[in-house]
Amino acid sequence: MREHSEQTILRHVPAGVATLQGPELCYGFVNEAMEAVLGGPAPEGVPIAKHPGFLAADLLDVMQRVYQSGRPFIAKAYCLALPGPDSPNRYYDLTLEPFREASEVISGLLLFAVDVTAQEEARQQAHRLEVETRRLDTRLRVLTETVPQITFTVDAKGHYDYVSPQWYYFTGQPPTAAVDAIWPLLIHPDDRLRVLYQAEAARAAGAGWSYEYRLRRHDGQYRWLLSRALPEQLHTPGEPVFWHGALTEIHDQRELTEALRRGEAELRFLADSIPELIWTASAEGFIDYYNRHTSEYTGLTQEELGPTGWVNLLAPKEQAEAARQWVHSMATGEAFEGVFRMRRHDGQYRWHIIRARQLADGQGLRWFGACTDVDDQHRLREVLQTQYNELARTNHDLDTFVYTASHDLRQPLINLRGLFEELARVASFDDPQASSMLQMVEDALAQLELTIQDLAATVQDQRGLSAPAERLDLRSITDEILLGLRMQFVQAGATLEFDLEGAPTLHYGRANLRSILHNLLSNALKFAHPERPAHIRVRSYLQDGQPVLSVQDNGLGMVVPSPNSPGFRPFTRQHTHVPGAGVGMYLVQRILTSRGGHLEVASTLNEGTTFTVHWTAAQPGE
Amino acid sequence: MQHIAYISRAVRPLTDEDLHELLTQCRRDNKRHHITGVLFYSHGNIAQLFEGESEAIDPLFGRILRDGRHSHVQKLIDKPIAARSFADWSMAFHPLEPEAFEALQGFLLPHHVPAPPSTLTIADAMLIDLVRLAVFGGATPPQAPAPTAGLDQA
Ligand SMILES: Cc1cc2nc3c(=O)[nH]c(=O)nc-3n(C[C@H](O)[C@H](O)[C@H](O)COP(=O)(O)O)c2cc1C
Repeated sequence: MREHSEQTILRHVPAGVATLQGPELCYGFVNEAMEAVLGGPAPEGVPIAKHPGFLAADLLDVMQRVYQSGRPFIAKAYCLALPGPDSPNRYYDLTLEPFREASEVISGLLLFAVDVTAQEEARQQAHRLEVETRRLDTRLRVLTETVPQITFTVDAKGHYDYVSPQWYYFTGQPPTAAVDAIWPLLIHPDDRLRVLYQAEAARAAGAGWSYEYRLRRHDGQYRWLLSRALPEQLHTPGEPVFWHGALTEIHDQRELTEALRRGEAELRFLADSIPELIWTASAEGFIDYYNRHTSEYTGLTQEELGPTGWVNLLAPKEQAEAARQWVHSMATGEAFEGVFRMRRHDGQYRWHIIRARQLADGQGLRWFGACTDVDDQHRLREVLQTQYNELARTNHDLDTFVYTASHDLRQPLINLRGLFEELARVASFDDPQASSMLQMVEDALAQLELTIQDLAATVQDQRGLSAPAERLDLRSITDEILLGLRMQFVQAGATLEFDLEGAPTLHYGRANLRSILHNLLSNALKFAHPERPAHIRVRSYLQDGQPVLSVQDNGLGMVVPSPNSPGFRPFTRQHTHVPGAGVGMYLVQRILTSRGGHLEVASTLNEGTTFTVHWTAAQPGE
Repeated sequence: MQHIAYISRAVRPLTDEDLHELLTQCRRDNKRHHITGVLFYSHGNIAQLFEGESEAIDPLFGRILRDGRHSHVQKLIDKPIAARSFADWSMAFHPLEPEAFEALQGFLLPHHVPAPPSTLTIADAMLIDLVRLAVFGGATPPQAPAPTAGLDQA
């Protein structure tokens, strides 16, 4: 009964218990827990080798050795691989204990199996964690030692627990240096107090920090650094808190932003001191800066103007076009340029040239613009244009008047001449002076007619300058003119000499050519020397490829103010005793200059005059 | 009456679902608060002009400012107006699948956006043209106002 109850107890203990009997190690007593280990009921009397369940061969081998040697053996955390894909491994402490019969001879083995899976798994987990921690540790070390920043760990009292090697590289301090003591000494004197205070305040408050200061580099140069640190997040109560942080060198950025800030400030200062409207706009086309003069001119602040308000300042009729043009410039990047009327603070609109161009640099894209006040120029131009129009009209009116007047005078003159000739023919005068007086009246009448003719010709020419040019034969035109001048020619006892071989024809307006030749030839006859017969030499030739005509006489000659600009003005006369209106040479010159030509005169008193006509524009090299 | 215009950047690109949700929520709430205007979206760029009574406008801008879907909100104009220029509220963007949006009230493809209403000042109309350009780029010139004459008269 007692044995039975013991067996019942053994059968139900949570540890596996079994007896293996004889050299064959045949199953004897096997409790439930052991059956679970073996993976099923173990038939009594069957050798374990025949029915090993989950037990591996190496364990069976060890059992044999224990049986033979009689020395017990404990296999710690022995792993049993249970079958099935998802079954977890289980771990047992297996005790192999030989037992003896009364004869002291070993007659079997006692097998105990205690499930230690939970412990084993915990141990394995701990091991894995340790490996992982070591791996992370290594990674962290590699990272902290390869990043360009100096990293550090400091406690609440300001004691440095860790400083990465970069600190030593940067400062040039030996690895043995006392970081706590030396670090503050390396801070720029101007920054030191502030930094020590800020760091201490942050640590006292349990907060992180971020500040910039200058630290002395190994070469003695102070460099700007950014120091940032945060207190430990997961910190065990009662343990000291640490701050982990990094120092980043920001010297170049700081210098650059400083330079940019200075540049921007200088630019604004410059823009603010210029009496022009100057502004900048973002890449999208929104004005983000107006200079001081803009607010003075418009009487509006930048806020009042807003990003697009400038267009409201333009004359209402010009706004839509200006807006369209601005949007177009933003879309294409093309420069903006236009002339617009812009309202001043007092309501007056003034003309401005508005120009803007885009600049793309490291800062991105921006537009720079200026509005230049061109109102005075604009108004001046308008005034000049009005005056010019008036003058042109007056001139035309004058021409018309002269033309009409000469016409109107002509008929009465012809009548007068006719009447006078009739009078001279039929009437008789007693006065001995009569005949010379009659002659004088006739001369005066002839002179009057000539002047009126010339006047008419002048205005006629001025209006009909556009007479078509044609190729003309100089000799035949000259002959026609001489026919008209026959009387004067004979009176002066003149001889003519032609030399037209160099340029026998000319491309010119017929009426104009006639007018010029008529004036030059009649001049030469008019100013003939009273003591010798007139001799006139007409030459036409090419000079530097350009046609030139000269008329040379042996007459009275005159004083030439300047050989190249004789300056014939209408109604100025060189020889007041010789009849002539003085209109002639003025006409010649007008015709010539209107076609790009010019007139030259060379003269010696009492010897003669040479007029040289350059028909076309001045030759190069002259 | 008051109107406000701003540009901003989406924190991350808005998906078709995001846009759909925003469109329906805005249509509903804006109708309730009598808010009209237009919103442009493309590749994370956002621009919006909205108009209404000041009592509705200011709180809405406050909500929009706090909205975590976008950042870098830059207010361009905020000023009183004499009258509305938009008949209702609409939203223009390029969905990945336009078919799903075509039937939706208040949805516009960017190239169907009408030219700014003629009731706006030229400065404000130019501002809308500029933000449209900033959001969609130069490829979508504004439509002639003719097909949306109804809007212009609003
Ligand atoms: C770009 C953008 C534009 C928006 N426009 C509007 C709008 O026009 N009307 C509106 O009611 N909500 C608009 N919202 C949504 C609001 O920001 C907010 O989510 C909504 O009003 C609900 O606010 P509540 O959750 O505080 O009630 C917009 C949001 C974003 C990101």
